[in-house]
Amino acid sequence: MNLYWLASKNISGNAFRTGVVALCALLVGSFALFTTLLMRGAENSLRLAINRLGADIVVVPEGSEAKIESALLMGVPARFWMSRDILSQIAAFPDVESASPQLYLATLTGASCCSVSDMFIIDYDPQTDFTIQPWLEQNQLDMLRLGEVVGGTYISATDGKQNITVYGYLVTLMANLEPTGTGLDQSMFLTFDTAYDIASKSVQQAERPLEIPTDSISAVMIKAKPGSDPHLLAVEILQTIPGVTPIESSNLFQSYRQQMTGLLKTILFIMSITWVLCVLLLGLVFSMAANERRKELGVLRSLGATRRFVFQSLLTEATLLAFAGGATGLALTVLIIILFRNALVALLGLPFLLPSAGSLLLQVLVGLFLALFSVNLAALLPAMKISRQDPAIAMRE
Amino acid sequence: MITLQEVTKTYSLGKGSSVTAVREVSLEIQPCEFVIVVGRSGSGKTTLLNLVGALTRPTSGSVMLDGVNLWELTDPQQSLLRSQKMGFAFQFPSLLPTLTALENVRLPSIFGKKQDSSAIEDRAVQLMQKVGLEDKLSSYPRQLSAGQQQRVVIARALMNQPEVLLADEPTSNLDEKTELEIMELFRDLHRNMGITMVMVTHTRQLISYGTRAIEMANGQIIKNGS
Repeated sequence: MNLYWLASKNISGNAFRTGVVALCALLVGSFALFTTLLMRGAENSLRLAINRLGADIVVVPEGSEAKIESALLMGVPARFWMSRDILSQIAAFPDVESASPQLYLATLTGASCCSVSDMFIIDYDPQTDFTIQPWLEQNQLDMLRLGEVVGGTYISATDGKQNITVYGYLVTLMANLEPTGTGLDQSMFLTFDTAYDIASKSVQQAERPLEIPTDSISAVMIKAKPGSDPHLLAVEILQTIPGVTPIESSNLFQSYRQQMTGLLKTILFIMSITWVLCVLLLGLVFSMAANERRKELGVLRSLGATRRFVFQSLLTEATLLAFAGGATGLALTVLIIILFRNALVALLGLPFLLPSAGSLLLQVLVGLFLALFSVNLAALLPAMKISRQDPAIAMRE
Repeated sequence: MITLQEVTKTYSLGKGSSVTAVREVSLEIQPCEFVIVVGRSGSGKTTLLNLVGALTRPTSGSVMLDGVNLWELTDPQQSLLRSQKMGFAFQFPSLLPTLTALENVRLPSIFGKKQDSSAIEDRAVQLMQKVGLEDKLSSYPRQLSAGQQQRVVIARALMNQPEVLLADEPTSNLDEKTELEIMELFRDLHRNMGITMVMVTHTRQLISYGTRAIEMANGQIIKNGS
């Protein structure tokens, strides 16, 4: 028999109070974790996507900035073109270390010729590429040959082997990239040669042929020379080459960052309101409980309980309930985010990558701390008030 | 020995008004006495009992137990003294509803001297036997009658082997037969265990159970004698 035993007996003996306090702790903990997971997950995704592209500047046709962001981040297929001549103009800038073209395509929607519907396809030039090629080398894989592809983490062959049908053409999935939580995870990377081969054979093999405009590319990835200023280079490109928009990697996904900031503000606002309401509700519940248990606590004092014991007893109850409610809420949040990640991404329109186990644990602990802090904060004043009261007064009222 | 010297207790009612429940009362209670305090409602008898039990601070005067001024002690010292030297039985149902009868009896052991848990268990069971409820050890307060609950309260009050038992109208909610049973139990405890007892009641017929009777009116002792 001790303080914890008495506290747990009181908890089990009052279902309503226990339920309300645990529910509030659950809400506070899970909301906090949900917000941090979502925001950090989105931020991580953006960072990884930029790292994956490996470019200091991405040049796209003027007006296509939003399309490329949607394609790279959310996997929304995009088609936009510019003349291949632009590549040589860009490569001629003295501060450009390397410039590599990319061509963006998409599979057909609901067509039997494509085993994956509406998939974003990125064609690259193996001779100049610095997005996929270094990754292949790092993973000791050969340069992609004709008909070979590399998939994002979610690209898999449906036949149980390695083959994926694209416009009636069988490509071989050679490897999958690590997850980024962005549209890149649902994209397929292949060489220009493979893309042109698919296009030429799709005339006979597909329901609709793959059409690639002659001498066209969708984007140019630029790596600036070490020591040069990518911003000045971007300004120079903008001023020199008409009809294109250079996007610095630091400015890439700017619209998503703004959307994220907006969403973060909304979520933080809702969370703050929820937190204040929860603490107020908890304060009310604890005040009512302390009031309802005045006599009981007065009796405890008469039996020899110190003020400190009464105070600790009330806070121990609060802590146990906060721990139980908070832990349940956090476990549910993690489970929901893992199970419904794709639905959440679609709903919020943001990329998302689950953090590492260590980072997740840290965020869970922060959520648990917030739940414990909130519940104890609400219980503090009633516990102090009741523990300071004369036992006789407490028992009389 | 319990000594009250010129003790006054005034309750503040807020907005500048107050009521004096006990007015300049001086009293001595010798060890092993069974003092019964009678008086009408509002006469100050419950406040007097609370003052004796250090459950409320006197507005003026001093309350001493064995020469120690209770209100010169710190809260932990005062609580320890209550736990080791005093037992309480109240008018209202004072058992903790979430604990069984046996757990309620064991409860004061949390605050007393450290004891072996099996010794605590044995003593609690013995006390339950003493009050005739050995078959109700696992019953919760709601499963017991008012008389049975009051017996459990008495067993709880005796758990830490107190020197003084303070009872505030312990039979007021009981029927006549149960009231007499409880009073017989008090008399038995007083005679066989040598406990000093102070009991407050508004029933004058119960005076015969005590060794001394005190009558109060308007916060003052108006009669004090055997």
